Amino acid sequence: MMTTTPVFETRNLSYDYPGNILALKDISFSVMLGESVALVGANGSGKSTLLRLLDGLIFPARGEIFSGGRPLTEKALEDAAYARDFRSRVGLVFQDADVQLFSATVWDEVTFGPLQLSLPKAEVVSRGLETLEMLGISHLKERPPYRLSGGEKKKVSIASVLSLYPRVLLLDEPTNGLDPHSQGVLIDFLIRWVGGGNTLIFSTQDLDLVEELASRVIVLGTEHSIVADGKPEDFLSDAEFLLKTNLIHEHAHRHKSLVHRHQHAHEHQHQGENSHQAN
Amino acid sequence: MHIPDGYLSPVTDGVMLAAAAPFWYVALKKIRRTLNQRTVPMLALFAAFSFVLMMFNVPLPGGTTAHVVGGTLLAIVLGPWDAIIGISVVLGIQAFFFGDGGVLAFGANCFNMAIVLPLVGYFVYKLVSSYAGASSPRRLLGSVVGSYAGINAAALFTAVELGLQPQLFHTAAGTPLYAPYNLAASLPSVMVGHLLVAGPAEALVTGLVVFYLQRSHSRLLQSDKKAKEGGKRWIMWGGLAALALATPLGLLASGTAWGEWGLDELKTLGLDFIPQGLQRLESWWPVPLPDYGFPRMGAVIGYIMSAFVGMALISGLLWLGGRGLMRKNASRVELPAPGKVLE
Amino acid sequence: MRSEGFLSHNIAGLSQALESVIAADDLSRKPGLLQGLDPRAKLAAFLLLVVTAGLLRNLALLAVLFVMALALVFFSMISFSFFLKRVLLFIPLFTVVIAIPALFITPGTPIWHIGSHISVTQQGLLSAAFLFARVTDSLSLGILLVLTTRWMDLLSALRWFRLPGLIVSIVGMTYRYIFLFLHSANNMFMARRSRTVARFSGAANRRWLAQMLVANLVKSQHLSEEVYLAMLSRGYSGEVITLDNLSVRRRDYLCFVSVAMLVFILLWVNYR
Repeated sequence: MMTTTPVFETRNLSYDYPGNILALKDISFSVMLGESVALVGANGSGKSTLLRLLDGLIFPARGEIFSGGRPLTEKALEDAAYARDFRSRVGLVFQDADVQLFSATVWDEVTFGPLQLSLPKAEVVSRGLETLEMLGISHLKERPPYRLSGGEKKKVSIASVLSLYPRVLLLDEPTNGLDPHSQGVLIDFLIRWVGGGNTLIFSTQDLDLVEELASRVIVLGTEHSIVADGKPEDFLSDAEFLLKTNLIHEHAHRHKSLVHRHQHAHEHQHQGENSHQAN
Repeated sequence: MHIPDGYLSPVTDGVMLAAAAPFWYVALKKIRRTLNQRTVPMLALFAAFSFVLMMFNVPLPGGTTAHVVGGTLLAIVLGPWDAIIGISVVLGIQAFFFGDGGVLAFGANCFNMAIVLPLVGYFVYKLVSSYAGASSPRRLLGSVVGSYAGINAAALFTAVELGLQPQLFHTAAGTPLYAPYNLAASLPSVMVGHLLVAGPAEALVTGLVVFYLQRSHSRLLQSDKKAKEGGKRWIMWGGLAALALATPLGLLASGTAWGEWGLDELKTLGLDFIPQGLQRLESWWPVPLPDYGFPRMGAVIGYIMSAFVGMALISGLLWLGGRGLMRKNASRVELPAPGKVLE
Repeated sequence: MRSEGFLSHNIAGLSQALESVIAADDLSRKPGLLQGLDPRAKLAAFLLLVVTAGLLRNLALLAVLFVMALALVFFSMISFSFFLKRVLLFIPLFTVVIAIPALFITPGTPIWHIGSHISVTQQGLLSAAFLFARVTDSLSLGILLVLTTRWMDLLSALRWFRLPGLIVSIVGMTYRYIFLFLHSANNMFMARRSRTVARFSGAANRRWLAQMLVANLVKSQHLSEEVYLAMLSRGYSGEVITLDNLSVRRRDYLCFVSVAMLVFILLWVNYR
């Protein structure tokens, strides 16, 4: 039975950085279970901030957020039972792996979440092993973070969140800094994960990633508000729009044609290039 | 200034551990109260920073190099109690995992570098800068003078701990069993190095860092909000602590304080008879700490410990008494806020 | 100080620290004698032995302790040269240098005359020997402990011995982030070195060092906030709950008991 309560709903969400610098303005959208949403926008458009708002780590200056129908406020999270439930249902993978990996070893990191949820020891251990297995990093169990490569760190980051068994994954620039092979592995994994009926919201500047993974795109403009919200196909061929929102640059086309992964992206780039040249 | 194992006798190690313990206890309680959830990442990251800071070789004018501790800097940025825990953590990691500084000597090293250094440094810093604005030159001066004072105070204690060893621990033939230099040798050799090299290095680095912080991140220098609530009480505690730590100087004075003579001393003073009353009283009150010394411990250390025990007892009695009084009035007794005092 | 010296010196120090930790990490996983023992037993044994090294008044017995340490090095699959380099270089050597004046100024029976006014006394020589022996013994035992125990296990042992959980969590996280700072400091020094065409003055170096420190200080502040959010996001609510998997076996009891016996014998012989 498909639930109609949105996993997340925001109404006129606004957030300011200290010093009254605008971060987000009037953000309103809903995300339903099973969606795979790409948050797209230039640097500084507020993508990371929005993800942290959705994870209840910071709270809006104006507007409201609801998760599963309940208001997500600082007060609500003071209730230990609700906090536990929320934290295990929603997981955020930070962009900077060194922030995400604060424990001494990979094993400690992966078991941190389940332990904080006060799960019994046997459960914690089995989840830890299973999650490492899922991402193919069981051999890294005893490694300290300073002996991990960038790609390995990313996998451990994701594993450390997955061990909470979340239904919603929030990812902040997941493919940033990863080599092409690791990117591919990660994308395959995420596609399967979403296929299992879970919800994914990820921020990125990589338009290829959007195409491969997203069922929906929300574009944040330079004014820190939503300028577009819909299916990827609707925007990604509109080069003018992409240029205006600082999502592409002329040179980027050629760059990507060297590293393209499959026909689909290539076609779009050709279209983009042609329509650009036509202007 | 890290003392390796072997330089201090295990007895001294134990005494210094006991001396450090109350400060750790208080610091732990204070950080639990003020930082609560953020304590772990905050202290961990700043401790990591301190560790790396201690590793640097700093080039000094004149061609020498020195290492810095940064205890006063940490106290300025985080507050003195957090600094105590932070530096202790760093010293623990250095001792256990890097062999820098002894494991048994951990108490002594912490007392010198993690307790005396930041407390003295911060105390002087506050005295000099006394609530001036975060970007004011007085803060900068305070940090320079404070850090210089802090590290030299720490060096003083180090020199005394080392210098007492030959006197207190030697074989029958006179061979020193631990650090071989007595006070007359250790004091000048340790102090000169710190007054002339390590002290200026510490002051220089602390000053430079505070200087640049004032320019770009002055909000990191705002840790004294908590202090304001305590009014001028910290001056009193600082003063008492300094008095307690200076009590060994009493040993240097020969003779006994006027009026505090024991029966033997009375005889040497020329009294041929001892008033009967005194004789009966002498053995009536079984004193737990006769002549201020702890059994089998160094005289000076025993003296200091007695001072602390005495202070603790007095403070405890005062606190209990104060509580009793306060129960009568519902309002809290507060010292006047600094602004009012200055009027 | 010349820029080259200042930079190289610091880079060397930082790299060395990183390497030594990785080496220790590797050695602690070897299937040697000490590696297989419970960290609590090892820690307790270590403390007993170090206190003993501090109490002994007999040079021969101190030497016995050192020989015992070397035997343990052998059975724990650690190379002697690696171990001796780690132990003797720096602190014991430094101690010898420090102790030299003591040879002459310690009052007592002169046994060696150098010139007409200076002589080495027996007491001076002995005291230098005691100092060197104690320092070497204590350091050997400490390094043995660290090379054969994974430091997370060491922390678990400390926690078992009632070190406050808050402190253990802080120590663990500090250790983890020390490497981040060591790496980044190393990189900064190397970047500076690659830009050193002419020599920088001491003042310029100091200014750069201070600015680099400020950058790191600010980074500490920033990282601590971020790490806090990352912890919060995964359910942290003020007390770090951990998984302890320490289990004592018969050989751990054996280890502790045999060390206790050794200590007893040594002290008995010593004070006889």
